Amino acid sequence: MNDSIRYNRQIILPEIGENGQHKLSIAKVLIIGAGGLGAAVLPYLAAAGVGEIGIVDDDVIEISNLQRQVIYKTSAVGKYKVEEAKAMVSELNPLVKVNAIAEKLSGKNAISLFEQYDIIVDATDNLSIKYLINDACLVTNKPMVYGSIFRFQGQVSVFNYQNGPTYKCLYPDENSQSLNCEDAGVIGISVGIIGMLQANEVIKMILQIGEVLSGKILVYNILNNQQQKYDFEKNTIAKLDKKAFEEKYKVAENQIEEIAAEVIVNEIDNDEVLFLDVRNADELPKINFKNGIQIPLMKLENEIENLNPNQTIYVYCQSGIRSKIAAELLQRKNFKSVKSIAGGALALSQIVKEKIAD
Amino acid sequence: MIEVKYFGAVAEKTKCEFEKIPFSEVSLQQFLQDLEIKYQFDSLSFSVAVNQKIVPKTTDYKLQTSDVVALLPPFAGG
Repeated sequence: MNDSIRYNRQIILPEIGENGQHKLSIAKVLIIGAGGLGAAVLPYLAAAGVGEIGIVDDDVIEISNLQRQVIYKTSAVGKYKVEEAKAMVSELNPLVKVNAIAEKLSGKNAISLFEQYDIIVDATDNLSIKYLINDACLVTNKPMVYGSIFRFQGQVSVFNYQNGPTYKCLYPDENSQSLNCEDAGVIGISVGIIGMLQANEVIKMILQIGEVLSGKILVYNILNNQQQKYDFEKNTIAKLDKKAFEEKYKVAENQIEEIAAEVIVNEIDNDEVLFLDVRNADELPKINFKNGIQIPLMKLENEIENLNPNQTIYVYCQSGIRSKIAAELLQRKNFKSVKSIAGGALALSQIVKEKIAD
Repeated sequence: MIEVKYFGAVAEKTKCEFEKIPFSEVSLQQFLQDLEIKYQFDSLSFSVAVNQKIVPKTTDYKLQTSDVVALLPPFAGG
């Protein structure tokens, strides 16, 4: 009865009713990101009585967050966002179960997390994670409620809703760049408005009312109050299964393949591959590969254009630590096949000596 | 005239949110190339809409008088 009173003003809406309230109470929503957008989405879903809400974010509250992440208090600076968000909800509406997940979303945890929820809200602030969320939603067959901000403008859409178009159908280029709030600047109101529009899409999907922004992107400009909707179609037919997902993200998750020096001994004369020495020029032992090149780790990023991203590259340093860092860098830059030689130059020189002795 | 709308980081490059460009029977591809030359979008990535509908940039389409083209980059803030 207490619940009915709490939710009375929405239950009396003909579109909701007791039945709709029940739908809300059994819904499970996962919010990725407890920043500006998350801080707007969360209280509205919680207040409306969404039964279970997960929040994923490994950040702690900084004083510069408070002008837009309005659920946090000044006294909570330095504390985990998800813990504070959970505490906020428990005071707002103790009927809601909140799962505070103080982790970074990655290829490793995305699928198992998404499987536990009905709807995934993208409240993140960088592009590469949006592709990760999109892909994980495809694998787990969940709708993705997208929101993002550029200064005084915002975008909202719902992807993968009932097999509808995805983020990749709208923005196919996974390597594109855009500034986040830290770099571009942002005012709390724009994340607030866009976050509330996201919460609205969530509620509509749960209640099955209205028109979901599927196959449409809403663009909102708070400076002139213009909003426009653009239609887009599904154009990626390739289904992403769990195996393909794991292969794709293992690479991005620092799963650098290490290879033993013994194994690559036969590659020494192979012109198709490249041996990349990331040590400084004065480090010993020197190993002279005819298909070798030396670029110290510190200079690698600036000299990356000297390397062919489609070539198999074996990276080595003195012992195998810097080469791993270098291999990670190259993988992030979309090099196709990069392996780090375990044991580095020390192991390698031994093997090369033995080979020459043969 | 073709009306062009610019959003996000694209509008920062063009220094305007919309403009009208005198119409001269061009393909969408040619039109986008001309904009690229004019504004040097470089590595900025964006999707293109014609009359409120996102279309592939390579689509074989001849722009009609009174078409509205929009360049929509992805946003990342949150």
